[in-house]
Amino acid sequence: MSQAPVARLQEVTKRIGSRTIIDRLSLEVNPGEVFGFLGPNGSGKTTTIRMMVGLMAMTSGDIEIGGHSVRKEYPLAASQVGAIVENPEMYKYLTGYQNLVHFARMNPGVDRKRIDEVVELVGLEGRIHDKVKKYSLGMRQRLGVAQAVMHRPKLLILDEPTNGLDPAGIRELRDYLRQLAQAEGTSVFVSSHLLSEMELMCDRVAIIQTGKLIDIRSIRGAAASEHQQTEAREVLFEVDHTDAALGVLQGQGGVRIADGQLALTAAREEIAETNRRLVQAGIRVYGIRTKTKSLEDQFLEVTGGESVD
Amino acid sequence: MTNFWNLVQNENMKIYLRLRTWIMLGIIVLIPILLTVGLTLVTDDSDGNMWELMGTETIIVFSLITIFTVVISAESVAGEFSAGTIKLLLIRPWSRSSILASKYVALLLFSILQSIVCFAVTWAINALVLGYTSDPGGIIPESSPMEGHSIWAYMGVHYLYEWLQLVMVVSFAFMLSSAFRSSGLAIGLSIFLLFAGGTITGLLTLTDKAWVKYILFANLDLTSYLDGRSPLPNMDMTLGFSLIMLAVYFIIFNAVSWTVFRKRDVAA
Repeated sequence: MSQAPVARLQEVTKRIGSRTIIDRLSLEVNPGEVFGFLGPNGSGKTTTIRMMVGLMAMTSGDIEIGGHSVRKEYPLAASQVGAIVENPEMYKYLTGYQNLVHFARMNPGVDRKRIDEVVELVGLEGRIHDKVKKYSLGMRQRLGVAQAVMHRPKLLILDEPTNGLDPAGIRELRDYLRQLAQAEGTSVFVSSHLLSEMELMCDRVAIIQTGKLIDIRSIRGAAASEHQQTEAREVLFEVDHTDAALGVLQGQGGVRIADGQLALTAAREEIAETNRRLVQAGIRVYGIRTKTKSLEDQFLEVTGGESVD
Repeated sequence: MTNFWNLVQNENMKIYLRLRTWIMLGIIVLIPILLTVGLTLVTDDSDGNMWELMGTETIIVFSLITIFTVVISAESVAGEFSAGTIKLLLIRPWSRSSILASKYVALLLFSILQSIVCFAVTWAINALVLGYTSDPGGIIPESSPMEGHSIWAYMGVHYLYEWLQLVMVVSFAFMLSSAFRSSGLAIGLSIFLLFAGGTITGLLTLTDKAWVKYILFANLDLTSYLDGRSPLPNMDMTLGFSLIMLAVYFIIFNAVSWTVFRKRDVAA
């Protein structure tokens, strides 16, 4: 598979009147990655997505999807994209199946067999011939996913996909997106204002605020784990006698007692070494926990906890 | 690229899989039957001319056909915006012009279908109740350019002119629908155009300003020419002139629809 980015946003700017909604936003989405697009409400996530799928015009800059400019070659760019923008609004007076037939006719290469396949994929076999007005929000969400993936797009764009889903539905969607990225090499571009969710779903996360890109961070993957091996982090040891343990480890980096546990700063190898010393000194160790900096902490760190303006 | 016909098929599906469309078609079938049977019962007279009654019923039913097509056309664009489905429709590998064109084609097909149903039903019920004749009765006036032609030809041209008026009103509705994204406004103003047109034309005849003949209303009803009259009796107007005027308005209406629809940012 080529490593050229699936989507490339270059200096994308959107101005409405004198207000700059998106300010020179540039980023790239790689093949097969789940890319998170994180920002507080009103930061410009949906506007960016609308520009990526051609629902809104850019004031300046360009977006390429699979090497085709959304500005100049819209149909070619759009043929590689599947999307749900905000809520998956389908034709309520048609059945789920008729809705899929409708959208299948608009994309080349989707036959009846493929429609049946995606219906099964999203688990709607039992209700697909019911009218959409009888569907629950969760079922509409599934139908939305079905129409978005049926033409095997290279890039799947989902705007706040977990809105209105129950925890089981969120988990299912998350597993499905990861499977799609791994098995079919589909890149997923997913926006959310929920940090914890992005942390579980994404390989990389871009953080935007008031229309500006603030940072892009890797959540998992090789780069992140290598990082984890050498960087010293806060570690908590749960032991039977904290005072005795403190004595054993006297002088080691920042060792102290916190919340009835032994806290210290250590890198990966040092953790094992510390544990060995404690055990040798006859102290019972019930648990070792490293405090990872959550995306939420990172998010608040980079945005400075500012409010939306 | 898949075929443009696929888009038209989609629009057709959205028209014909709704109950209201069949109610509309049902009304078109029912009205001529009720009128013919009712009139025959009331007047207790079954030697009227079938073509005369067919002509009268056609005028009534065509107003309905225009209203129905306006309702569907207003819904066709504005309805997709209000339901939010426009987003899923416009992110497909098609230009917005193609999508709008497919909607327009589907609407014209719907109006043609209704016209055919109207012709078939008004012809059949009157031939059945009053008896078939090739005698046009008094329906073709002596001043008509169609004088001497068969009644079939006259009826055909009558339908064509009625349909052209419908195309104008529907294009107007389509323009309002894509410009304001409000089906109510599009339906209301178009029906106003349809019915106030006659009254306004009447008022306009009172003035003898030359510019009056360039107004849309003055040119909307082409059937005046069929009866050998001018839509504005005191003006020097010809069929050719009115057709050109209608073509100009047609281009303006559709240019506005297209431009607005292609440029519009789809938000919320």
